[in-house]
Amino acid sequence: MAKRITIDPITRIEGHLRIDVEVDNNSVSNAWASCTMWRGIEKILRGRDPRDAWLFTQRFCGVCTTVHAMASVRSVEDALKLEIPPNAQYIRNLILIAHALHDHIVHFYQLSALDWVDVLQIPKADPAATSKLAETLSPWTGNSRNQMKAAQDRVNAVASSGQLGIFANGYWGHPAMKLSPEVNLLAFSHYVQALEYQRKALQVVGLLGSKTPHIQNLTVGGVANAIDLDSQSALGMEKLAMIGTLLAEVTEFVQQVYFVDVCAVAAMYPEWFKIGSGVKNYLAVPDLPLDSTGSAYDLPGGYIHDGDLAGVKTFKTGSDAAFRQAVTEDVMHAYYQGEKPLHPWEGETEPAFTGWNSEQKYSWVKAPRYNGEPAQVGPLAQVLIGYAQGHPLTRKYTNLAIEKIAAVGGVHATPAALHSTLGRHAARAIRACMLAELAQKHLQLLTDNIAKGDYTVHNQPVLPSHEVQGVGTHEAPRGTLSHWVVIKDQKIKNYQAVVPSTWNASPRDHSGAHGPYEASLLHTPLARPEEPLEVLRTVHSFDPCMACACHTFDPSGKKIAVAKIL
Amino acid sequence: MPHVRSIGQEDRGGENPVNTALIGGIGNVLLGDDSVGPYVVHRLESEYSFAQNVEVADLGTPALDLTHRIVGRESVILIDSVSTDDPPGTVLVYRKEDILSVMPAQRLDPHSPALSECLLAAEMLGASPKNVLLVGIVSEQFEPGCPLSESVSQAVDKAIAAVLDELSRLGFLFEKRQQPVASGMWWTEQPALAPFTYS
Repeated sequence: MAKRITIDPITRIEGHLRIDVEVDNNSVSNAWASCTMWRGIEKILRGRDPRDAWLFTQRFCGVCTTVHAMASVRSVEDALKLEIPPNAQYIRNLILIAHALHDHIVHFYQLSALDWVDVLQIPKADPAATSKLAETLSPWTGNSRNQMKAAQDRVNAVASSGQLGIFANGYWGHPAMKLSPEVNLLAFSHYVQALEYQRKALQVVGLLGSKTPHIQNLTVGGVANAIDLDSQSALGMEKLAMIGTLLAEVTEFVQQVYFVDVCAVAAMYPEWFKIGSGVKNYLAVPDLPLDSTGSAYDLPGGYIHDGDLAGVKTFKTGSDAAFRQAVTEDVMHAYYQGEKPLHPWEGETEPAFTGWNSEQKYSWVKAPRYNGEPAQVGPLAQVLIGYAQGHPLTRKYTNLAIEKIAAVGGVHATPAALHSTLGRHAARAIRACMLAELAQKHLQLLTDNIAKGDYTVHNQPVLPSHEVQGVGTHEAPRGTLSHWVVIKDQKIKNYQAVVPSTWNASPRDHSGAHGPYEASLLHTPLARPEEPLEVLRTVHSFDPCMACACHTFDPSGKKIAVAKIL
Repeated sequence: MPHVRSIGQEDRGGENPVNTALIGGIGNVLLGDDSVGPYVVHRLESEYSFAQNVEVADLGTPALDLTHRIVGRESVILIDSVSTDDPPGTVLVYRKEDILSVMPAQRLDPHSPALSECLLAAEMLGASPKNVLLVGIVSEQFEPGCPLSESVSQAVDKAIAAVLDELSRLGFLFEKRQQPVASGMWWTEQPALAPFTYS
């Protein structure tokens, strides 16, 4: 008889994700991902001025605010066929990159590393040996014996207080934890350093966006940053130099610490290259446009069907016709009214709450489908698509990761091994390295363009008198984000946001096909079903953020990462 | 090349010689009474001016990003909606010990995991603020839409008074403006943009 385990909620921040798994002989035999809160924020947008939409959409979520602002202005610009001045593209790109770097660093260290790192082993580590080990892995200057000792002292202070404080919710001493005390200490010391570097990335967002969270510099048609090389209050040489300094520091951390740590953890948990694959349809949209019309991009997009890398499809633009036509949302197992799958421009968000029922409706997340099938989104999708297309930057860092993992653990990983829980972490670190390199490039593009005397940042939007529709996409830290707008008589007639965590956390659809979280959990071995650490590892590898994936929250009685056997 | 100041050195945890305070409004402005935190800080900014060492910020729903907002500050005053059994519009204040003692087993409100985790992170880093006050307003509804409930909107003045009392107690300077300035509460206002030009 299978046992059913419920984990509610599973995210470490703003958590509203519930996972139910059935366990048979210590292996997951069935899974349900559900979101426990309803939002329906899109309905607020109907009847508003489309030029204001981005201010509202970026309040969907406090974690990925910039992404909803960006997708929103792009949707209106797509509807109006508006060109964006190069300066505005570069400024937007720099914000997107800095935000993504912040997000990827926080995800690995603060939100998922403690699934792999056993904090309570740290007091047993030898700081000198840890420092020596670190030197063999990376030239990073933050790995001295004294720094390791300081990190260890922090853990000792918390552990000796008798209360675990911030570490109160971990599965310490779990049999699936396998790192040596020294590797645990090394990773933890970087957990502390990561707090500093993710902040530097956010400072870049703040310098360009005027405020974070919730940037203030966007406008339909461009950005509202005044450019004046000689002014300290406008975007001038001083601010550009500051941004350059900050990005250089973050780049060093990403390439010498984050990337290396992910490779080292991967090398020590090689069995996790065989666990957690699930849905092998992958979707990513191109991003970081290089010109005013969006005809060339620095990040590749496309679609891979059923793991067939050789048959990869390419999206030429962020609003590629193939993408526009292929997306629908299915509500068969979601708490909404409606029968057949709907295209987002026709999308409806009318609640029909029934209570959790594994055979019928069980989630507030709709099920987005690509040509009728579930698709996995996120850094792994983007890296696999780029790799399959021969995208040079993607190949460079993917190959580097494979070499590094082999060097640390003698483990020969292949691109095929990326269809896994560890593959998602590796892909995120690969993508972070790519973004760090591109940050320097886009800062240079911006500086050069300004030096040519081009100070233009905005094109005035004009509206056709007939009804228009647009899609704005952004390859966000958690994957493909799309905002779909219909404009009529100066106002928003319909608005739908199809967000990355909706793709990944989607429930089953009318054909019964599992969503990516669900599919990835099948056959996962559990050492101790009452402490389902392995389930958390796979779900966390997607970087779940349910605050925006679902459409209110239930303010009553949330438990923090409690697993119960039903 | 102009001189580049290294950012962050001067305001790292524990190294900041100047006593600073943060007044932060937390909440989602799109979800009914959850907007009360941002609402209170925008009213404060509109009606009062503060000394340079006091930062007033609409923090939205910051989750773990709250950590580097509070690390290294002497004093932090946060305003947020809370869910308790008290009638809507009740104003409750929580101190650091209250927040840390009930966490993380239980939540005060939908954002408190962020608040408690960020405080715990600051504690671990040895850079936790000395004074923490959470001014909580008991909410009535979190329905999508922007207006505050009548009960909560009547509690705003009380929440403002609680923030100002704490600032005075801690010795931070502020004064009431002769004339209020624009509130910046864009989500409560009618759009100010001119109509689109048709092509």
